[in-house]
Amino acid sequence: MSGIQLLQDILIIILAGYMTIDQNGLVVMSWFPVIVGTIAGIIMGDLTTALTIAGTFQLMMLGVAALGGASAPNYGLATIIGVFIATRTGTGIKSAIAVGLPVGLLAIQLEVVARIIANFLAHKMQSDNNKNAWKKMNVEAWLGPILFSLQTALPAALIVFFGPEVVTFILKVVPKWVTDGLTVAGGMLPVVGIGMLLHYMPVKKFLPYIIVGFVLAAYLKVGVLGIALIGFAAAYWYFFSESKKATDAEASPVSGEVPDDEGDDYDE
Amino acid sequence: MRETTMMSDTDKYKVTKKDRRRAAVRYNFMACNLFNYESQMGPAVAWSMAPVLRKIYKNDDEYKAALNNHFNYYNSTTVMSSMILGATLAMEERDGIKAKDAVQSLKTSLMGPLAGVGDTLVWVLWPTIMGSISGYMALQGNPLGAIVWFIANIIFWFVKLKLFDVGYTSGTRLITSLGNKLTIFTEAASIMGLSVVGGLIATVVKISAPVKFQFGKVALNLQTGVFDKIMPALLPALLTLLIFKLLGNKKWTPTRVILLVIAISLVGTFLGIFKA
Repeated sequence: MSGIQLLQDILIIILAGYMTIDQNGLVVMSWFPVIVGTIAGIIMGDLTTALTIAGTFQLMMLGVAALGGASAPNYGLATIIGVFIATRTGTGIKSAIAVGLPVGLLAIQLEVVARIIANFLAHKMQSDNNKNAWKKMNVEAWLGPILFSLQTALPAALIVFFGPEVVTFILKVVPKWVTDGLTVAGGMLPVVGIGMLLHYMPVKKFLPYIIVGFVLAAYLKVGVLGIALIGFAAAYWYFFSESKKATDAEASPVSGEVPDDEGDDYDE
Repeated sequence: MRETTMMSDTDKYKVTKKDRRRAAVRYNFMACNLFNYESQMGPAVAWSMAPVLRKIYKNDDEYKAALNNHFNYYNSTTVMSSMILGATLAMEERDGIKAKDAVQSLKTSLMGPLAGVGDTLVWVLWPTIMGSISGYMALQGNPLGAIVWFIANIIFWFVKLKLFDVGYTSGTRLITSLGNKLTIFTEAASIMGLSVVGGLIATVVKISAPVKFQFGKVALNLQTGVFDKIMPALLPALLTLLIFKLLGNKKWTPTRVILLVIAISLVGTFLGIFKA
């Protein structure tokens, strides 16, 4: 193994570990596939392959909001692993999906374990507080981020150190319809994210806007940015007309005066 | 209240901007990094507020009690928590340990409703809009969307620090009066989100059945000859409807639905209905 490869291995594991800490706190790159995938691509020196994989997982992940521990794969880790495998073995997106997805599912199981262990840590911190051992309590807290980083760093390390050759071997043995089928699944899976998303959102109230977006894309071939802009226009109109209604309703029972500039403080 | 019943001003610690910044940075780093099933974000709140509370509470027992108060169950979106904790800090600065119960009830009463709005905005709508645009660009080999998203998140982090100050200075009054507008804002953002989702169904969900049937001399391609004639993106629309219905059923967890989709793809490819 060359020096560069070893450096890449280490950086990929660090990226995987840090991803969870970031997702839990700073939310600067979080576990969003396009962002972690771009970084992984830079590490691996193949941005083009990385972007294709990252884009695929990003679209699969839509709607996976990680609220209250939703049990969906960790697509961020799937992306990092996928980019690593695809660029290291040169097998492309098929292996990224075939290896990345299962590893992403494993990470979610590990999260449950980490949160159970964190329970003991929480009790330790509180008992130190009760013993006036505040310095200790302050330091112990740092075990939290370390613990949570393992949920993604460990699977990444397993793949990095034992993976690539095993993965190439498996891909050779597995019949073509399986890898093709997984690629087909890759195209379909965004539907699960979209389905979950629709359950979080007021679908019944705003159903027409889904239809508008669908028709714009399917019939008129408007790109997603264009649809976003039209959606923004509708949202803008809705915000100001509803805000005005709300302030009117608030003001009218008390006095007849309606403050004109009430709706404008949204930009401040 | 009479002056005699209050602490004299010389005893009271005046929270500085630096104190607030430190608490906000600690909270917006630790947030879910001490997450546990029992008290959820509680330990992270206690840890974040510990340095500034030490300055407020010179008495060890009071400090201990104040921290234990923050060790209690807490969970909300970090953006909203910044405001809530800013407000509770102002209360503790003013009234000291007497504010303990008020602090606890403010936290528990606001964390739920504000998380409802905050989670929708921060964890559902924002990643959907940014994710669909940047994911789409990435598929075409363009990293620009990812970079813009990354930079926006950095800016957003500083906004969270600022919101701690907003909570501190305007306190409870602001949060409650914002409540009304926040709901409208969330709804407006949902409109934009749902328009994008409508477009995504047609473009991002890829399913086609290019299987050919032979009737004597006439060959019929199921996809181009039948489905595309009815309407474009018919199968994606139907699949979305099916998955949406399934997910509404408690038995169908997301993981199960994902496995179902993979199974359908494998079987379909094996039978030659779908092609990679």
